[in-house]
Amino acid sequence: MEAAVSLKFGILGLLAEEPLHGYDVKNRFESLLGGSWEVNFGQVYMTLQRLERDGLIEADGERGDRRKLAYRLTASGRKTLDDWLSRPESEPQQLREEIYVKLLLSTRLADGRLDALLTAQRRVYLQRLKDLAELEQGARREGRNDLVLLFKGAILHTEADLKWTDACAEEIRNSNRKGVEET
Amino acid sequence: MTRLVELSDVRKLYDGGATHPALNGVSLGIERGEFLAIMGPSGSGKSTLLNLVAGLDRPTSGRVLVDGRDLGRAGEAELARYRRSGVGFVFQFFNLLGSLTVLENVVVAAQLAGSATAAARQRARELLEQLGIANQAARYPARLSGGQQQRVAIARALINRPLLLLADEPTGALDTRSGEQVMELLVELNRGGQTVLLVTHDAKLAARYARRVVSLVDGRVADDVVLQATTASAAEVVRVRVEEVAG
Repeated sequence: MEAAVSLKFGILGLLAEEPLHGYDVKNRFESLLGGSWEVNFGQVYMTLQRLERDGLIEADGERGDRRKLAYRLTASGRKTLDDWLSRPESEPQQLREEIYVKLLLSTRLADGRLDALLTAQRRVYLQRLKDLAELEQGARREGRNDLVLLFKGAILHTEADLKWTDACAEEIRNSNRKGVEET
Repeated sequence: MTRLVELSDVRKLYDGGATHPALNGVSLGIERGEFLAIMGPSGSGKSTLLNLVAGLDRPTSGRVLVDGRDLGRAGEAELARYRRSGVGFVFQFFNLLGSLTVLENVVVAAQLAGSATAAARQRARELLEQLGIANQAARYPARLSGGQQQRVAIARALINRPLLLLADEPTGALDTRSGEQVMELLVELNRGGQTVLLVTHDAKLAARYARRVVSLVDGRVADDVVLQATTASAAEVVRVRVEEVAG
């Protein structure tokens, strides 16, 4: 299954810049994402082993203490990375947040909890938009243009989620209105 | 001290359209010094609300008080006076007079409100200075960029020291960068004590710059929330999904 493999390509991308130890890989990955994800060292180490097994990376220099072992990209690794970087994403969109399921169920249960849920959820999104705007500004001040892009992406997603909750609310109002007219 | 603006159970019907009021029982207070955003889709009633607070229109029922004045009951002359000096407007499309220079565009608003010309010119120059466009004073609006024109409009809005600055989609006709600069100016003015009422359909804009966001839907207040200043770290707000190789 090719669904969730960004750590693999993240590592290949970092090693494309220069050979790195496992520990450096972990730190740079965290920094790349602006602290928005905490990387588990075991996960990094296992991924490095798999990448080496598949011939995408290799040991750089002497193979002594494995904790100090540095890796570099192989030609095959470079090709795999380039292919990945130039390929658009076509996986099905992932709607992972629970709110999607909560709202769908609440519309079916129709017991009055829905309005309160929609309002509360809207507030979360509005506050998130404020927080993200602040983070984007911070990244800009620090000259982290890559992170600016990450936050811009998050802002667009949040705007879409907000529009969706509003669309849910409108849909429900319309069906309530229709219900009233019919009775 | 009383609230600067107090709307009580305000209804507004157009053309006797009793089935679908533009505003349907809106109650809302605005304190002095607030930066408030009114948000909502088109048709939600936000323009109607703005027009009522601006004294451009009267409520069908309910009460609109601004600084203790009952705008629904005020006479035409009093209302006209209030519009000229009680509120300052900033519109999406600037609405500057093309045949007047930048300085004249600002000064004329003060003259209309009855200020002496010399004093008005002095204040206009100070405002242009403060807004970073003093060097454009002698030019005509058509020669200015959108962002500069909007600054002129802000100077014009402020010339009479209004109680309330009303900004209706002020960034709608601007590129992202100029829009941000205009919003930063509004934030700065608010820090200096100016009450700002921003009307927008753009949630991003409202959340980013206003402290309080009121959402209108179908002529009613659907939500009224005070947002918190951001203290969250990146990790608390956004998380990138990264997983190990599967296989």
